Amino acid sequence: MGGIAMTKLSNSALLKIFTKLLILLLIAKGISLFVLWYLPSDGIEVTKKENYQPRYQKVDFKTMLIPPKSDLELNADGTPVNSSGKATSITNMTLKGLYGNKTSGFVIVALKSDAKKTTIVAVGEKYSGFKLKSIMIDHAIFTKGSKEYKLELEKMKDMNNYVKKINNEPVVYATESGVSREDIAYYSKNPKQLWKDISIKPVKNGKKIEGFRVARIDPMSKMARLGLEKGDLIIKANNIELKTYKDALDIYKKIDTIDTVQIVVIRNNQEKELVYEIH
Amino acid sequence: MVNKLLMFLAYVAFFVLALMYFTPKTSLYYMLEKELKQYDVIISDEKVTDNGFSLSIDDATVYVKNIDTAILKELDIKLFAFYNAISLKDITLSDVTASFIPVKIKSVDLMYSIIDPLNLKIDAEGAFGTASGSLSISERKLHLDVVPSKIMHSKYKNTMRQLKKQKDGGYSYDKAF
Repeated sequence: MGGIAMTKLSNSALLKIFTKLLILLLIAKGISLFVLWYLPSDGIEVTKKENYQPRYQKVDFKTMLIPPKSDLELNADGTPVNSSGKATSITNMTLKGLYGNKTSGFVIVALKSDAKKTTIVAVGEKYSGFKLKSIMIDHAIFTKGSKEYKLELEKMKDMNNYVKKINNEPVVYATESGVSREDIAYYSKNPKQLWKDISIKPVKNGKKIEGFRVARIDPMSKMARLGLEKGDLIIKANNIELKTYKDALDIYKKIDTIDTVQIVVIRNNQEKELVYEIH
Repeated sequence: MVNKLLMFLAYVAFFVLALMYFTPKTSLYYMLEKELKQYDVIISDEKVTDNGFSLSIDDATVYVKNIDTAILKELDIKLFAFYNAISLKDITLSDVTASFIPVKIKSVDLMYSIIDPLNLKIDAEGAFGTASGSLSISERKLHLDVVPSKIMHSKYKNTMRQLKKQKDGGYSYDKAF
C-alpha cells in the first residue's frame, strides 16, 4: 500500500514541475554567484581633499624692500608708532620666517601666547614695542630704546628648507589692480562673453593638470585689463595650486565672499603674481 | 505540443526572472561606477538598496571632473532584459550651471525596450519645462522636443538660442556624439 502511494507521488506532474523549477532556481543562483565573483565589491567615492587655504594677506612690498627714509617709527600697518605702546618681552615673541638682508626685507613674527596669529613686519617697522633693525640668515635684530635684541628662527631645520626654496624659485614680481563686483556679475550673467574674451585650456603632464594656459585673450576686454596675457600659465589662485577643474571652480564659487584674488602665472619662464582687489 | 511549448516558455520566463532576482545588482552598479570614472564621472555619497527586481540609489552627488555637478534625491534602475528603465527624481544641479539652466529638475526617465532596440526613450520635466525625445544608438544622435517654461524665455535667452525653433512653434535640441 505504502509502495503504491510513493509511486503516485514520484509520478505526480506537480513534483516534476517543482523539481524543474528548483533546478532552474539553482542554476540562476549559480550563474549570479559566478558573475558576482568577477564584479567589484566596492563602489567609487569622491575623496574630499582638504585644500589648505591660508587667508591671503595683502603686503605692500614697496615699503618692505626699500628701507624707510625717515626715522619715523612705523607699525606693521604703516601707521606711526605710539611711543607709549604696550611693551612685550622679546622672549614672548617667536620668529616664524624671514626674507631680506641687513637693510631691507621682512620677517613673520607672532606672540607665543597666540602663535597662530602671525604678522609681517618690514625693516624699520615696530611690533609689540620692538623695532626691526636688520635681518640675518637665521635671526632678526630688533631694537628697543638703546638696546638690541636677537630673535632666532623658530626651527633651524625648517629655515634651511625655506632658504633653499627661496633661492631656487625664479624672481617673483607682483602687480596689483582692482576688479569690480559688477564686472564679476557681468561675466557670471554672460558666460558666453567670458569665453569670447578669454580662452583657457588645461596644461597636462600625463593625466595631471599643471595649470591653465591662457590660449587667447581679447586685448580690449575687461579680462585683458586685469593683466593676463596670451600664453600665461595660471598655476595658483589664492594660495591654491590649480591641479583640478574643481580647484579652479572653488575660487569661482567663493568669489562673492572674498575681497582679494591672488593669481600666480608663469610668463616667460618666470613666476608673476597678479593681485586683484574686488571692490 | 502547444502545451509543451507553453510550458517551455513558462520555464524560460521563470528562469529569466530568477536570474534577474539573483543578479548582484549592487555589484553591477559598482561596475557601472568604475566605467563612469573613466569619463571623470563619479556618483558619490549615495545609499544603494537592492529591491529584488530593481536597484534604488538615494541621496547621490554626481561629480563631473571632480566638480559636484548635481544632487540626485532618488535614482531607480530596473533591468528586466526586455524592458529596462532608469528613473531619476528630484535633481538639483550645481550653482555653476545656474547661468545656463534652472537648477531644479523634477524627473528624468530613460527607457530601453527590446521592441525598439536601437533607441533609448527620454522624458524629462523640471523648472526648465518639459523635454521628450530619443537617443539613437545606431546613429549616435540625441533628439529632444522641448517645451520651455516661461522662466527659460525670460532669464535663459542664451540657452534658448541653442534650441531650434520648429514650424509648429515648439523647440528642439539635436546633438551628435
